[in-house]
Amino acid sequence: MDTAICLDDLSVNFDDRFHLHHINWTIEPNQHWVITGTNGSGKSALAAVLAGVGDIEQGTLSGVPSRVGLVSFEAQAELIAKELKKDDADIMDVISLGTPVQEMIFEACADPELAADLVEKFGLSHLLDRAFRKLSTGETRKVMLIRALSSKPDLLILDEPFDGLDVDTLAMLQQHLASIIDTTPMVMVLNRFDEMPDFITHVAYLEKAADDCGLLAFKVDRQDKSAFSELYQLLHLKTTDLQVPAPDSASKFPSLDPAQPLVKLTDATIKYDETVIVDKLNWTIEPGKHWQLSGPNGSGKTGVLSLITGDHPQCYSNDIFVFGFQRGNGESIWQIKQFIGYVSTSLQWEYRVSVSCKNVIISGFYDSIGMYSKSTDNQKKIADEWLALLGMKDRADQPFNKLSYGDQRLLLIARAMVKHPSLLILDEPCLGLDDMNRQLVLALIEKICAGHETTVLYVNHHAEDQISGIDNYLALEKNH
Amino acid sequence: MANYFNTLPLREQLAQLAKCRFMDSSEFSDGVEALKGKKLVVIGCGAQGLNQGLNLRDSGLDVSYALRPEAIEQKRQSWKNATENGFVVGTYEDLIPTADVVLNLTPDKQHTPVVKAVMPLMKEGACLSYSHGFNIVEEGMQIRDDLTVIMVAPKCPGSEVRAEYVRGFGVPTLIAVHEDNDPKGEGLALAKAYAVGTGGHKAGVLMSSFIAEVKSDLMGEQTILCGMLQTGSILCFDKMVEEGVDAGYASRLIQYGWETITEALKYGGVTNMLDRLSNPAKIKAFDLAEELKVIMRPLYNKHQDDIIDGTFSRVMMEDWANDDKNLLQWRADTAETNFEKTPAGDVEISEQEFFDNGILMVAMVKAGVELAFETMTAAGIIAESAYYESLHETPLIANTIARKKLYEMNATISDTAEYGCYLYNHACLPLLADFMKDIKTDVIGKGLSSDDNGVDNARLIEVNTALRSHPVEAIGSVLRGHMADMKKIV
Repeated sequence: MDTAICLDDLSVNFDDRFHLHHINWTIEPNQHWVITGTNGSGKSALAAVLAGVGDIEQGTLSGVPSRVGLVSFEAQAELIAKELKKDDADIMDVISLGTPVQEMIFEACADPELAADLVEKFGLSHLLDRAFRKLSTGETRKVMLIRALSSKPDLLILDEPFDGLDVDTLAMLQQHLASIIDTTPMVMVLNRFDEMPDFITHVAYLEKAADDCGLLAFKVDRQDKSAFSELYQLLHLKTTDLQVPAPDSASKFPSLDPAQPLVKLTDATIKYDETVIVDKLNWTIEPGKHWQLSGPNGSGKTGVLSLITGDHPQCYSNDIFVFGFQRGNGESIWQIKQFIGYVSTSLQWEYRVSVSCKNVIISGFYDSIGMYSKSTDNQKKIADEWLALLGMKDRADQPFNKLSYGDQRLLLIARAMVKHPSLLILDEPCLGLDDMNRQLVLALIEKICAGHETTVLYVNHHAEDQISGIDNYLALEKNH
Repeated sequence: MANYFNTLPLREQLAQLAKCRFMDSSEFSDGVEALKGKKLVVIGCGAQGLNQGLNLRDSGLDVSYALRPEAIEQKRQSWKNATENGFVVGTYEDLIPTADVVLNLTPDKQHTPVVKAVMPLMKEGACLSYSHGFNIVEEGMQIRDDLTVIMVAPKCPGSEVRAEYVRGFGVPTLIAVHEDNDPKGEGLALAKAYAVGTGGHKAGVLMSSFIAEVKSDLMGEQTILCGMLQTGSILCFDKMVEEGVDAGYASRLIQYGWETITEALKYGGVTNMLDRLSNPAKIKAFDLAEELKVIMRPLYNKHQDDIIDGTFSRVMMEDWANDDKNLLQWRADTAETNFEKTPAGDVEISEQEFFDNGILMVAMVKAGVELAFETMTAAGIIAESAYYESLHETPLIANTIARKKLYEMNATISDTAEYGCYLYNHACLPLLADFMKDIKTDVIGKGLSSDDNGVDNARLIEVNTALRSHPVEAIGSVLRGHMADMKKIV
């Protein structure tokens, strides 16, 4: 790229759902920017403008090179939705296997050699023949990154590229990015200041002007130390004094024998064909003992969780005791799920139904995605209390799927906690959240941990996101 | 084996065809109790077999899979599907004698050999279940007197049966009891429990008969669902190319157009599909559809007559016995059509453009849905059945064309549907030849020009009223109300 990218008094409309107003911004060649700001301020939107998304209503956008590489949660979700849609289309008796990873990476690739090298470095070689939609969240992310990097872009846009990657992969990616800074200008959306690579030269900070509107509030040169630290402060707004709403006494699940463990896995094993993902895991979760589960991408964290929740089909061929049930003796999954609150990235992707924010929270009482039963007045009241806690009172009736990614996550956490479950499973609950909301969520989890009703099982990559009150750790290794 | 339907007296035939009742959710208060502790053995592990089994097991029922010895020895896909999901898998000899309920979820064509192999192994008083009644009704399979015979047919692809269950919901389901085989009078209780086990009771259950299911299912799939879309694809493509529209554009407009326009159908019926057009285009589509209905009505009648009197299944089974000679020839012919051979061009077509430039396609869908519905109800099939077998399933089939054109559609539908589709196509192409001579690019390929922009108010009101008062719209709004919460498949 040898000319500057200029956004001159640019206003952009995103399907009338969101607007960016009067953006003035110049990206000189050899500059590398980070875009940051609060949830819902339009960070991802601004990055996407550079990739040609949105309708320009006013002002000009010039100098954007023709080859732009983009990696984002939105793009990832879109690709996954596209793959899932292929599955939806199967009519009679054929199981659609989906597009293999090999094809996703090499089909339209400008530099197959680089792609092959990255596949190796990202540790995806053994997954090339697997269907893209069978991959874990972290693995699909890696495929997206390889596609973008090997397209030899003249501008690389990375929206939260480091979220969901394990430590080794993260280091490798940072190293690779550092090696291409002289040829490839980068714009990154980052929610965490501490993840900012050294080669970043400038930071853009967005602010929410209204519910559906963002503006570019500050542009800071990294050399300017004092401005830089002020910006950091801004992101660390004080957390509110939190009061967790009470559960609904009318729809409370049966009480459990406190002398029995909540969960007991004996020699738990998950395998596909001959590949063993989890090998003879023994794990007991006693009531009140909070756990943290960690491990690299592909180590089977999500698999182990789904053995507990009953979502994994192999839970019937394992020795699993959960909430008073020895699995496989005529209990239904709904009898299991009533004891569990659950949040994960994949839940967010599966939550593709048009329901209001309030009903998303209420659906937590029913363990359903979407609402199919009539809610009670008390459930509605509790949902309102949660909305107030999250600062989203005014959005009770807005459709869930129109909210920003971070706001959706906060709602799903409220959905999981709403019934004060016996076991709360938080599978990387902070993935994709900005600092302020991250702190809000962590504070919320600490409150829950301090109570006596709910045992927390917390899964994450970031060592910094420690929660006081969790003192049991299980680290999974990669077996294959 | 004789055609079962033809052995019945007329009044019984009519009574069976008219059987269809939307059940109240209070009728499912016993949950899965009737199947609790019983041994369910599924035969076949394709998309329906696997996904129904997963749901039933997650509802607390005891499910295992009986496969043929070759499938087990060679570790075929069906064996993998079952074992990777942690099910017990065994041969017919191992599992069938222990089964309280045998769920036959194999393709239609295999029903006779499968049921013949399984029946002698089944224990006294057990239950045999189907998801489609062709074998009983058309092939006249005689089931041992002591066995109960039921049908539970989810009206969606297997993958969706599973996805909706996992979300805490279900898909619309049709159940039936074969009255000749209900020695203990427990057929209905078992079918209801089975529908609860797959989650169907949450989305709505139709209590029907084997006969109504078969006669309506055959009619829908060979006319509007597959036949009309195939014939329409070929005619519209050839016309556009003849009129100088870019072949790549024409190919894309059709391949993805069916899916886009029937998506509107799915949400709001024929009315909403036509409401997506401008007023002048709507009147145009309405008039074309009226014309098409006059031309095609005798063909729809013939299909329905041949289905009712058993001619269709007899001729098709003759082709089965003749190594599928006709089927394979027609399949090869379809692969050679210009539409099939021209890949979709690399042009962007916006969602609205599919409607604006595909007025004739909208007209064809409208004519086909209404004709199929009218013909079925005239033959004594009740509106609820006719709705599911015409309008409800059209978008599901259109999705397959979007994936890989006619090849994909014909590969994923059942052999029975494919055979009927070709029959329809062969008769319908010549039937519409004259009609197509007057067709120009304003209704297929380019859209109306601004000169056509006037609308007569009185005519518009007439058209809107006619659209909204068609019987398929009345029953559609009731049934869609029950499914309002189904996920948005976009």
